[in-house]
Amino acid sequence: MPKIACIIPAWNEEKNITKVVESVKPYADFIIVINDKSQDTTAELAEKAGAIVINHPINRGQGASLQTGNDYALSLGADIIVHFDGDDQFLAEEINDMIEPIKRGEADIVFGSRFLGKETNFPFLKKNVIYPLAQIFTRLILGVRLSDPQNGFRAMNRQAAEEIRIINREMAHNSEIQSKAFSGKLRVAEVPITVIYHHFGQKLSGGIKIMKDLLIYKLSK
Amino acid sequence: MNMLPQQIIAIAITAFFIIKLYKQKRKGEISNNEYIMWLVFWITAALAIAMIKQVDRLSGTLGLSASGIDFLVYLAVIMLFYFVFRLRLRLAKMDRELTEMVRQFAIKETDKKQAKNNN
Repeated sequence: MPKIACIIPAWNEEKNITKVVESVKPYADFIIVINDKSQDTTAELAEKAGAIVINHPINRGQGASLQTGNDYALSLGADIIVHFDGDDQFLAEEINDMIEPIKRGEADIVFGSRFLGKETNFPFLKKNVIYPLAQIFTRLILGVRLSDPQNGFRAMNRQAAEEIRIINREMAHNSEIQSKAFSGKLRVAEVPITVIYHHFGQKLSGGIKIMKDLLIYKLSK
Repeated sequence: MNMLPQQIIAIAITAFFIIKLYKQKRKGEISNNEYIMWLVFWITAALAIAMIKQVDRLSGTLGLSASGIDFLVYLAVIMLFYFVFRLRLRLAKMDRELTEMVRQFAIKETDKKQAKNNN
């Protein structure tokens, strides 16, 4: 049986972290919470719930937290790594669907998609403005052919986790991972997932910042 | 070569910066490349100020309606933009290195804690 590690980046998630860690327990051998210098009790609660907690001494962003989690999961010998949000947006039972193509040997990396049939309570602006624009950007500029341009629910095997090193420490990491998955010639799959919106999340200004971060990343490489 | 008082003052200012640069180099505060780049910059600036009439002619030849001194200001603004851009790239690189240090530290601390828990 492959060893599965679930990586949960968390920053001030004391309201949700216990529930999220408890919910993923049946689906992962290791639950790794990266506490990105939270000001609340996220770390204590995650540890109490049974997760391995890695504490960033200063806040570095979600992308940096995911790479910290990947490094640690690889050192523990994980065969499959799942990225899962700490704000209770995703459904833990869908982890099995996400890792299935990897287990069958059909994919190296699997991206969750909200546009493949499952119902999601999208905010209107996101569905009709932000995502179509993001999709055009990722398709034309980054060469990414995915139905969902911004989704944090993903799973990858060891090979993919070793090949994709996340450099963008903030929100541009999502586009970076997608871009590297396609340019690295990894086998990519998409799986329908459900997202439950508790808040609006990334705004249009956030999207513009992502594009700016990607540009600086490209030029400073 | 007859120089205007403002040209003499401007050249004195560039001389001040060249001396400062030389002192920084002697103290080892800047790298060789940086020293050469700034030295070339200040010498070029001093020459352009000293030969302002020729710069005026160059500006006219290039089809610019502005006088030589305006032309130098335009050049300075372009160079400043370039330096800010380079600074931005350098900051991005330092930021990446800081993240890597934070990561190594955090993982090491977790390993220590896990080993302690297992004992």
